[in-house]
Amino acid sequence: MTALLEARGVVKRFGGLTAVDGVDISVGTGEMVGLIGPNGSGKTTLFDCLSRVQTIDAGSIRFDGVDIAGRRAHDVARLGMSRTFQLIRVYRDLSVAENMHLSIQWGSIGVPQLFARTDAATRRRADELLDFLLLGPLRHERAGNLSGGQRRLLEIGMSLMSEPRLVLLDEATSGVNPSLVADIADRLREVNTQRQVAFLLVEHNVQFVADLCERVVVLDQGAVLAEGTPGEVTQDPTVIEAYFGDPGDAGEDAP
Amino acid sequence: MSRAAPGTGAVAGRWPAGRAVGVGALIVLVVLAVLPLLGGTSNATLLTLTLMLTSIGVAINWNLTGGFTGYVDFGHAVWFGIGAYATAILISLQSNGPQVGWPPVPAILVGALVAGFLAAIIGRATMRLKGPYFSIAMLGTFVAVREIVRVWSPLTGGGVGLTLPPYLNRALFYYVELALVTVLVVGTWWLRRTRFGAALVAIREDEVGAETRGIDTTRLKTAVFSFAGLSTGLFGALWAYQNTFVDPDIAFVEVRTIDAVMGTMLGGLGTVAGPVLGAAALYWVRELLWTHLLDAHLLAQGVLLIVIVLFVPRGLVGLVDRRGTSLFELWGWKGWSRGLRQGPVAGGEAEAAS
Amino acid sequence: MSYFAQALVNGIALGGMYTILVLGFSIIWGVMGVINLAHGEFVMVGAYLAWMASDFWDVDPFISAPVVFVVMLLFGYLVQRVLVNRIIDRSSLVSLLVMFGVSIILQSVMKIAFSADFRLANTDLDGAWRLSDQLTIPVTRFWILVVAVGVTAGLGLFLGHSRLGKSIRAAAQNREAARIVGVDVKKVYAVTFALCIGLTGVAGALISPLLAVQPFQGPPLTLKAFAITAMAGLGSVRGALGGAMVLGMVEAMLALYVDRIGTNLAVVASFVLLVAALVLRPQGIFKGLRHVDATST
Repeated sequence: MTALLEARGVVKRFGGLTAVDGVDISVGTGEMVGLIGPNGSGKTTLFDCLSRVQTIDAGSIRFDGVDIAGRRAHDVARLGMSRTFQLIRVYRDLSVAENMHLSIQWGSIGVPQLFARTDAATRRRADELLDFLLLGPLRHERAGNLSGGQRRLLEIGMSLMSEPRLVLLDEATSGVNPSLVADIADRLREVNTQRQVAFLLVEHNVQFVADLCERVVVLDQGAVLAEGTPGEVTQDPTVIEAYFGDPGDAGEDAP
Repeated sequence: MSRAAPGTGAVAGRWPAGRAVGVGALIVLVVLAVLPLLGGTSNATLLTLTLMLTSIGVAINWNLTGGFTGYVDFGHAVWFGIGAYATAILISLQSNGPQVGWPPVPAILVGALVAGFLAAIIGRATMRLKGPYFSIAMLGTFVAVREIVRVWSPLTGGGVGLTLPPYLNRALFYYVELALVTVLVVGTWWLRRTRFGAALVAIREDEVGAETRGIDTTRLKTAVFSFAGLSTGLFGALWAYQNTFVDPDIAFVEVRTIDAVMGTMLGGLGTVAGPVLGAAALYWVRELLWTHLLDAHLLAQGVLLIVIVLFVPRGLVGLVDRRGTSLFELWGWKGWSRGLRQGPVAGGEAEAAS
Repeated sequence: MSYFAQALVNGIALGGMYTILVLGFSIIWGVMGVINLAHGEFVMVGAYLAWMASDFWDVDPFISAPVVFVVMLLFGYLVQRVLVNRIIDRSSLVSLLVMFGVSIILQSVMKIAFSADFRLANTDLDGAWRLSDQLTIPVTRFWILVVAVGVTAGLGLFLGHSRLGKSIRAAAQNREAARIVGVDVKKVYAVTFALCIGLTGVAGALISPLLAVQPFQGPPLTLKAFAITAMAGLGSVRGALGGAMVLGMVEAMLALYVDRIGTNLAVVASFVLLVAALVLRPQGIFKGLRHVDATST
């Protein structure tokens, strides 16, 4: 597998605080990688760096062979990397369907299409994805009226609308009804196998990660603590010390 | 404002009476179009109506950035003044001997283009700022440009101003502005249904989200800001020509911005009909206040502003249809003051649940 | 060189004036999140009060300032109870617009009451101390600077060490947390607003012998207060002093090197400075009471 995403030595500082401290991470084409770590270990900041929401202070990020460290966020999205947010970002005043229509592959939209309405093919695709994510009946609902879990699903749907090759999922299961979590896992696996979409998942739910990913990266205090299969990682004493030793919610989910 | 369509504009289009609104608008347009043809319509009436149309046009332009994109511009009148001045300068150009001023039509068009061009440059810088910072930066731009115009006397005539050749065909200007406003209304109605319009609303709802989903937010928002500047500059250019005189204090007037903001809010922020209804209503309210209250008209206007903001946040359109954006949602308290640390308000409950 | 020294003195004097002008605005924004667009009008009302004292009863503004403080404090409390309380939990756009409405109302009322004529109050602390042929110190501005430094130090002590001051800072940093630990946030806001308007009135009184008192003098002052605050950090007392000095210095230097620059063009300068500062350093230069970033929502 060639590396689709290849980040080397990424550093991000906020004033005196180094949130991400020289992280190396790679994701291969069609691979599913988990990213775990205690609260405040820099997972979300790393996501912000990878998707160019934040600038980086040092290091390099290549996506599909292109250096994206200097690119703007919309460029990165157009190259085929999409993401979701830990604190859900949907357009609350717009309908569910409109949210989907606004998450298209904007790189293919020229000026004439910009001044046109959403085409039938896009609508159909959005409807299919919404049905696939069990949101079909809600497509005309105002997004701000959805429950937290439904908004998570909508955001996943939006991240898939642009036909990305890599999706960064930030806490896809948090706030979601437990009965839906297995559904989400099924959906992600399906997308992964059918369309070769790679995923990088930040998760608190370790079981969810273990089910989906062949490889897991553990982050602690802004640096990579361990890397390996879910089995290896959960046996690693340093990880247990830093992460599972912590009497937080994650420990209870450990196998 | 007419039929609802699924897909883009789905929320915007759920109005069963849409067709009636369209027909109503058409009737108003026809009445306004034949009005000067009826006997007894004086030049003064035509001037009043033309100024009302100007006010509506500026409000529509303001709403493009303030209502759709969520960038509340407190200095929008600067483009009006720049359009007016650029046109006046071109028309009154003088060499040593004969008058070499431009003919009106190219002068007016270039005047508008100058406003649009400067809006593109200034918007590029100020639109990096958010919320109140953007608003006040634009207010500062307005004050700054007025002072520059006042000082730059070789070009602008300084505080004395510039006098234009008289040309007072009121009916012509009336029709030109009626046509412009019609084009703008139809244009915004159409824009709201396109990908561009939806993307602007996405910027208002969540700019970071829009950017990470592939929307070139910088380009789109500066594009619409520049267009609004150009269009308001065009109204300014037309105004200068009709007024036959410009000086810094009548070309750059805070009240024009206030009227655009108040009119749009009174009508309904972020709606197509809002700025039209609101600016028209406000124009007549002001005429009444002016005639009956004289000195106190400013006082009454301040009270009116507070009353609108506190009690009619969704505007007139919002009274019949809830599609208008409420001010309370546009810049939520958390939206800007704690945004950096906590992200958009939408995530609050998710965080609590995790 | 001596011109430069004079410009330096002028800059510091101007900075002192801006310091006292900006403090109330900065603290209201920092603590309550309300951008007081009527700030310049509160200055104007304070200036009118001092002018009345000077014109009707021949009282020096430096002597009437404490009375102006009390009157404006009560006025501020009234405005807070009637209006500001209603907007404090709403979006910042609402507070901007409502306070803008207040500014129009105050301008209009003052114009009806006193006409638009320019007035100046008389003070005995006027004239200039001549240090050398080319270096003079403007007396009124010197004493304003003294008051400004005194008020700044006093406010710093008050916010840093008094019980009420600590409550104010707590409410500024995290309203919910402050509420939970028993701070009466509503009361803190009322006190803050009243105090700041009192202070703003004093600023108006002190500048009434220098700046023409008239109903429409407010907006440029509000703009400058905004520029300094945004540059310096919201609610930062030290920042207000620093920012005001920077602006005063810039204006004085501009006056030295650029021909024909009047107070109006100085507004232009302050805005170029503001936008540049915001774009380059969105979180402000000094650490304020409230963390913000001008380029993020």
